[in-house]
Amino acid sequence: MNHRTSHRIATSGVALGSLMLLALLVLPVGMLVMRGGVDGVRQLGSDPELRASLALTAFTATAATMITVLLGTPLAWLLARGRMPAGTLVSALLDLPLLIPHPVAGIALLLAFGRASPIGGTLERAGLALVGSPFAIGLAMLFVAAPLYVSAAREAIARVDHRYESVARTLGDSPWRAAWRVTRPLSSRGLLAAGVVMWARAVSEFGAIVILTYNPKVVSILSYDRFNAYGLDAALPVAAVLVLLALVPLLVLRSLRAHAALGEPVR
Amino acid sequence: MIETRALGCRAGTFALHDVSVTLPGGAWGIVLGPAGAGKTTLLETIAGVRRVQSGSVLLRGDDVTHVAPEHRSLGIVYQQGYLFPHLSVDENIRYGTRDVAWADTMADRLGASALRDRAVQTLSGGERQVVALARALAPRPDILLLDEPFAALDPRRRTHVRRVLRALQRELGMTVLHVTHDFAEAGTLGDYAILLEGGRVIQSGPPAELFRRPATAAVAEFLGAENVFAGQAHVVSRAEQDGLDTVRFSVGALSLIAVGEYTSRASHAVIRGEDIVLARTRPGPSSARNVIDGTVVEVAMEGSLARVTVDVGGLPLVAMLTSGSAAELGLREGVAVVATVKAPAVHLC
Repeated sequence: MNHRTSHRIATSGVALGSLMLLALLVLPVGMLVMRGGVDGVRQLGSDPELRASLALTAFTATAATMITVLLGTPLAWLLARGRMPAGTLVSALLDLPLLIPHPVAGIALLLAFGRASPIGGTLERAGLALVGSPFAIGLAMLFVAAPLYVSAAREAIARVDHRYESVARTLGDSPWRAAWRVTRPLSSRGLLAAGVVMWARAVSEFGAIVILTYNPKVVSILSYDRFNAYGLDAALPVAAVLVLLALVPLLVLRSLRAHAALGEPVR
Repeated sequence: MIETRALGCRAGTFALHDVSVTLPGGAWGIVLGPAGAGKTTLLETIAGVRRVQSGSVLLRGDDVTHVAPEHRSLGIVYQQGYLFPHLSVDENIRYGTRDVAWADTMADRLGASALRDRAVQTLSGGERQVVALARALAPRPDILLLDEPFAALDPRRRTHVRRVLRALQRELGMTVLHVTHDFAEAGTLGDYAILLEGGRVIQSGPPAELFRRPATAAVAEFLGAENVFAGQAHVVSRAEQDGLDTVRFSVGALSLIAVGEYTSRASHAVIRGEDIVLARTRPGPSSARNVIDGTVVEVAMEGSLARVTVDVGGLPLVAMLTSGSAAELGLREGVAVVATVKAPAVHLC
């Protein structure tokens, strides 16, 4: 077998493998949207429960994302610049929610913030019951998706050469002011992408939310609920709406990447 | 004044060790050294953007080891400029000051005014350097740290910017510490030079002293000495009054007389090419102690200079002449010449 023939065989093998993987990933979602997409969009006009569920999902995911951006960006900066004491340990702890099954995450949250817990009990006595409320939905979304934001934000910040900050410091900026005036704008596209990824992950969360708050229902739980109660045909439109909702940020992200060199380091 | 005392600093796998230097206020210090010697790390440690592991940094006589960079009143200019790409040129220049008039003056004097309306991304490397210099000078620092700031400038602009910076330094009494690889720049600008290698100070002093009297053969070679020979030194006569001994240095067919405080031992002789005088015939009675016969093996033109390599009993002796002198002497391969070197021009180390 000559070199050219073996090269062709290898190329064909890689192409075939890539196609198979792509089909495996796209086929189920594609079929779901094809079968339920039109009905789902139509049902948005006639199904108040679906509309309310969609609004609740979007609102809680947005709130969880905004809180994470506010609290997680400084943390990502500390980690990216090596200024966080025990940074390796903190990074490992941040990754922990990504590694545990999401229903387990829900149980852990229930333990920490449920009625029987000191925090949950105090909040309930103050009139703020977490479990069974939109707050718990946001909390579950934050728990499972925030590590994605912090990790991606840390990468985005690390891509900005620290010497920009050094120059800003010698020009009179404090560390946080230099980060705000220089690093934040230079990493803004990466930070936005991190936020988009987190939002999409939060929107599609099911396992942790179902333990904490079955009602009011987010779209993922509504889809599950209708599948159990009425079967596949009833669940399909709701599931398709959820896929379309997750598709929006994905398209925004791709568009950002197409319009700018998102992954390029700022040197 | 800039002073470091036994300074130690780690930057990844690289470290500065026990760096002690003193640059008087208002002086222009030059930092020389091969790539990876620690030159930029030294500047960053003085600027305070890199954490000190041991020792101390003093600016204007005050210990600032634990003072934040924003309170050190100094400016730093990196080779890459590091202009903020999300800001305009004008916003870059005014970044660290509210004194817009002074910022404008700096931009004018450095020739950056014409660039103010340009986007940072459209600037050439040299233009970025000029804007970065104006930005660093705008807050009126009295200490300026320069990391190869002229590297990207074309020769015309480089001469202009050097002249302006030197004038500003004298007008404002600034203390400048300047990393460069350009020995001509070091000789032209520097009042004091520091040679770093492997994170340590190898030699420091006035630039002429470093170039004329390098501490080691490696320093001599790094500083571009054309002739470095390894051989044996023998003290011929001990001086009783001026402390300058007469020493004969021998290697193969080459025998040189040097004067200085030396001992009899294996050593290196260093002769700079411009200290060698070439003639076609032996000179008459002369004060020069070293008169060496040889044969030209190569004449290489380097701009207005000619680099003439003379074979002396199998050893290459390199002389730097003006190209006019080389032409007048008719120097070419195979021509017999006589090289003359005064004893003080032979440095043993």
